[in-house]
Amino acid sequence: MAKIVAAYGLPHTPFYPSQVIEEGPSSPTGKMFARARESLIAARPDVIVIFDTDHYNTFFFDNFPILAIGIDERFRGPVDEPRGGMTVYDVPSMPKLADYLHHRLVRAGYDVASLREFVADHSVMVPLHFVNPDMKIPVIPVYISGHVPPLPPAERCLAFGREIRKALEAWPENLRVAIIGTGSFSLEVFGPRINEGKTDSVPDPQWAADVCDYIEAGDIKTLLAKATEDRLHAAGNVGGELLNWIAMFAFTETRKPDFLLRQMEQGHAYAGWRLD
Amino acid sequence: MSVNALNRLCREVLRDHAFRAAMKDNPAKAIEPYNLTQEEKKALLAGDAATLHRMGVNDFMMGYLARFGACGLNVPLYAERIRSVPH
Repeated sequence: MAKIVAAYGLPHTPFYPSQVIEEGPSSPTGKMFARARESLIAARPDVIVIFDTDHYNTFFFDNFPILAIGIDERFRGPVDEPRGGMTVYDVPSMPKLADYLHHRLVRAGYDVASLREFVADHSVMVPLHFVNPDMKIPVIPVYISGHVPPLPPAERCLAFGREIRKALEAWPENLRVAIIGTGSFSLEVFGPRINEGKTDSVPDPQWAADVCDYIEAGDIKTLLAKATEDRLHAAGNVGGELLNWIAMFAFTETRKPDFLLRQMEQGHAYAGWRLD
Repeated sequence: MSVNALNRLCREVLRDHAFRAAMKDNPAKAIEPYNLTQEEKKALLAGDAATLHRMGVNDFMMGYLARFGACGLNVPLYAERIRSVPH
């Protein structure tokens, strides 16, 4: 069976790769990603499953699934020219495992779209850039629609994560799996609430701080009760990215994280759990 | 209303570098192949982010206009205009 060896919550701010090159690995962002990278590498995963919200590059408005999984030998990204530039990677995946997960999820009542010959944007590639050096570890992307209303309920995302965990634990081969959930807690990007002269803002820093407090306490029950669709939208036009963290909490449940590093000026945090 | 056409047009500013250049240099000519209403063309060519937002154009898609200097926009000007939408 597969063993879940670690889980992480990480941001995917598009300019971080270029910023860390410019400011160096000892910059705040460089050090926070290094903390996650060191933990993930020490956990020796054979595969990474990442929960992400696509930013209209893998999908588009004419066909936008609530839930989806990438099933192919490889995928490429980022395809959206993140500000400041970053390496475009060819990422290996595990189509046999992804196909198995797809079958298990649909049979369990989750109408998950399947993707083949797909590309990914910065929202998948920025965290991988930092924690999966040279993309040596295969990656399976799992998509949750966290921007376009209607959003899936938080409870549904947690249950979806739990179904993936059950499926992984029933996988017949020995496999070490790391989980990533990526996104912001409070962030507005190119919407009416952005700051003067800027491309973004953190409209609700108190919510971002509260989310961090719940994670630090392992109190996903309260977080779930508070993370209504209206609450997520009030936190910014990408506030629904919290749903990727909530799906990831299916693997950590009420455990307190080994580390939680707050970056409140960007409305997000970095968290990690070793589970082996 | 052809909001999907507007969203698609904005995405092409990201994906098609020749179209990106045309949207900077001669946007009126660049948008000719698109099936847009007069109202939509007017708002787009004016870089009127607030009106486009009210029409339902996605904020991320409009961000490409600002990032890549289409329709006379840049980030500070875009921010000024989108911030005029009541919120």
